[in-house]
Parts: sequence; structure tokens; C-alpha cells
Amino acid sequence: MKYDYVEKAITVTRREFIGMLGIAAAMLWTGAFAVTDLVADRNKYIRMRTAGLYKDDEKQAVRQSHNNKSLMKMYETWAGKPMGHLAEELFHTRYYDRTVL
Amino acid sequence: MSTYRADELQGIIKINPEICKGCDSCKSFCPTDAINGAYGATHEIDGEKCLQCGQCLVNCPFGAIEDMADAVPAVKKKLADKETTVVATVAPAVRVALGEEFGIEPGKLLTEEMYGALKQAGFKIMDVNFAADNTIMEEGTELVEKIKKYVLGEPSEHELGPLPQFTSCCPAWVRYMELYHPKLTKHLSSAKSPQGMAGPVAKIYGATEVWHTEPENIYCVGVYPCTAKKYEASRPEFTSAADYWKKRGHTATYQDTDVVLTTRDLARLLKDLNIDLKKVEPITESDNPLAEYSGAGTIFGNTGGVMEAALRTAYFVLTGEELQELNFMPVRGLEAVKSAAVPLKLKDGREIELKVAVVHGTKNVEPLIQEIEAGKSPYHFIEVMNCPGGCVNGGGQPINPMGTSWTSGFKAIMPWN
Repeated sequence: MKYDYVEKAITVTRREFIGMLGIAAAMLWTGAFAVTDLVADRNKYIRMRTAGLYKDDEKQAVRQSHNNKSLMKMYETWAGKPMGHLAEELFHTRYYDRTVL
Repeated sequence: MSTYRADELQGIIKINPEICKGCDSCKSFCPTDAINGAYGATHEIDGEKCLQCGQCLVNCPFGAIEDMADAVPAVKKKLADKETTVVATVAPAVRVALGEEFGIEPGKLLTEEMYGALKQAGFKIMDVNFAADNTIMEEGTELVEKIKKYVLGEPSEHELGPLPQFTSCCPAWVRYMELYHPKLTKHLSSAKSPQGMAGPVAKIYGATEVWHTEPENIYCVGVYPCTAKKYEASRPEFTSAADYWKKRGHTATYQDTDVVLTTRDLARLLKDLNIDLKKVEPITESDNPLAEYSGAGTIFGNTGGVMEAALRTAYFVLTGEELQELNFMPVRGLEAVKSAAVPLKLKDGREIELKVAVVHGTKNVEPLIQEIEAGKSPYHFIEVMNCPGGCVNGGGQPINPMGTSWTSGFKAIMPWN
């Protein structure tokens, strides 16, 4: 016949085919791991810096603001009381409406 | 229409059109959608909407975004001038990130090394952690007064805003409120930020008690992990020290904090002066009262830190005894919105529950603001920090190749680098 066409026989064996699937899966797996690893590590430096400050907190002998001796001395000898007259003048502020400036 | 007042610093953050690839990364980090430009085209920042937080800057994969307010030359000039007492006020988050610019791992605590380097450069030192403790005293007292007035029904001699109270430490967050929710600014604590308190303390108490000099001779350099602090320092009302001295016979006018350096700027200045943080001699500053700080002051740089610090003091003031377990875990961590209820047994035997919330990333605050607008907010105190993770991840911090700027991580291992 004029247009007789016989397709080539498949030359990949069952084992080779499974092997190729395995390699493809491994490549996809590596790629996915690399990407998720990048995403997971994205905040790592933030967590490291955060841990650094918590370590500084635990290192301090005094851990509450009202027990800071120099600060309390400053209030006693000069600034008065928190929210007192001088404190209001120096340590408090007001806010502005920026839509009407 | 401008969203800045006269003399306020603007246009601090700028995209360099030569380098911008139009990749849209910055847009996903912008808290106010202030970045214009189509995908693939050069982007531009709308300064009127911008909070100056610099999140786009530290997260640009191509390093195309720049900090335009460079105070390094001015500080160098002042350091060379022997007449001037140059005071560095250093923020908490700087000490765990400055090392990165000198090849030290992120998060390494370098307080003494940093003091040593600053001293070698010719600075006098004031720790902003001291001012953070000061902030807690003011902001915490304000919270306690509000609870007494609105929850316990006791009269108060102070003029107080409504509950819930928002923190006011973050300049980008304050600008956000002033710009997008001006009707709710009465919820912001009237206490200034630690920077706002550090200036007057340095130029009044520091001048007379610590450095024994005239306030006019003090040049106050803020060192912050933040680009928005540059803008905050220029707020026209932040001249409390000058106003104080004018009532006492002085005439000069100056800002409380003269200039602000970011962590990156300080590293550049130190390198310029040939000071290597790795080789510097560590000092403790134990005889300097303005460098004394509590653990509560230092955690201000973390999300949840201001809340934790405030709780330690508010608990003591309301109950009369110290908090037993100081590490308050519900406000720690990187969850976008954290909330907690703290049971308090008051001095007179009554029991109340203090409800608090912690937000980082300004976009995450909108649901809480809607609750307040609807009058349904269950909270007494809400901490907001603009930058994800808090100040430790501020827009003025070293640009870390571990971050979203993954191309720089890749570039770092290439042989031609």
C-alpha cells in the first residue's frame, strides 16, 4: 500500500521509564525544596535580631522600667512625677490632622 | 495639597530610575500603596502618601531604592569641632544589627563594642534604652490613669484621651494615623517616642548633670534602625529643650535631636573613620547615668516589646507587686496580630482583666481600627509597629542578603564578588 506507516517500537524499557520518572521527581523535589527553604529563611535574620534583644533583656539585673535607678533619680531631682507639670511640657506631645495641612 | 508641615523633612526614600527594573517587589512591602508605576516600568514613590518607613528600601531585590537624607558629612564635621559635645543617642535595635555591616552574624549583641566604637569616634553616649524606660514611665502612667478613669470609675486630674490607647513610639505609624485616620489620633498615647524624650533629656539633664556644658554646645545625633526617625526629628514641635532654656534666659533655637543616622549610616561613618567594630575595645559606660537601662527598655526594638515593657510597669503600679513571670510569651513572635488578656488583682482586692493587642505591619491594623470606629474594640492597649518584626527589621537596618533580596544572596557566592 502507498501510505503504509509503521510506528517505531518503543525502545524504553519499563525499568528505564521508571528510572526516568525517578530522576524527574528528584529534580522537581530539589527545586521545590530550594524555593521553600528560601521562603522559610526569609525571616531568619529578623528572628536572630529579635533573639539578640531578648538575650539583652535577660542579661540585665534590672528588668522593669520603674526599677531603673538613674531614671528614678532623674525624676526625683529634676523632672518631677510622670505626667507631672514638667513631664507634660517635655515628654508629651500632640498630633496633627495631615489631611487639612 | 501637602501632607508635610513647613521644615519637615520629606522625600527621604527615593527610587533610582536608573536601577529600578519595575519588578513590583516594593509594592508588596509598602504599607500605604504609595508606589506608582506599571509592572516592568520604572516605579516612583508618592511622597504625600509615603510614611518614610523604608521597608521598600530594605526589601528591593535590586538595591534601587535610596535614602536621600545623608547626615554623615555633617556629623563628621561636628566630631572634628572640639567646641561641640556630640552626643550619640543609640536605639535598642542598633546593637543587634550593626555587626552585620562588619561581617558579624545577625543578632549578635554588641552593646559594649558599639559603645567602644562610638567613644573612639568622639561621641558622648546616651542610650535610647534609658529614654525607652522614660517612655514607659510616661506612657504606662497614662494607661494606668485611663484604666482608673474609664474602667474603675475613679476621677483623674489629668486630661486623658479615650481607650484603647495606641502606642506612639513608631514615627511611621504616627504619620499613618495623622494622615489616614486623623479623627482617631486622640487614641494615640500623648507620650512622645523615645527619640522625642531622648533629645530634651540630653540637652537639659545631660547638659547640666552629665556633661557639664551649655545646651547650645550639645549636638544630638540620633542613631536609629529607622528612616522615618529622620522625618520625626524634624517635626517643628520637637524643640522642647530650646523652649525650656528660652524660659531660663537662653536665646538659641534648635531641634531636640539635631540629626539622625540610620544603622547603615553609622556603619558608614565608622568605616570612614577607620574604626572596625571587630577590633574595637569594648567599654561598659557604667558610670554614665544616661546609659543605664532596664531589660524592659531594650526589648522596645522587638514587636511586642513595648507592650511587654508597659505590662511589667502597669502590673506593678496597679497591683502593688512585681510580675512573677517576666517573659510574657503571648506578645512575642511574628504573628501579624497578637492579643492577650492579663488578669490583675488590684490593691483594693478588685479584679480586672487587661486586654491588649500587638500589631506589626501597618496594613494589619485596619481591622482593629474598624472595631474602634464601630465602638466595639475589646482592647485597652494596642501596640503598633510599622515594620514587620518591629524596629529590628526597620528601614534603616543593614540590608540582609537572607531577606527577600535573594539575588544578593546569590551574588555573594559568585567568584567575581
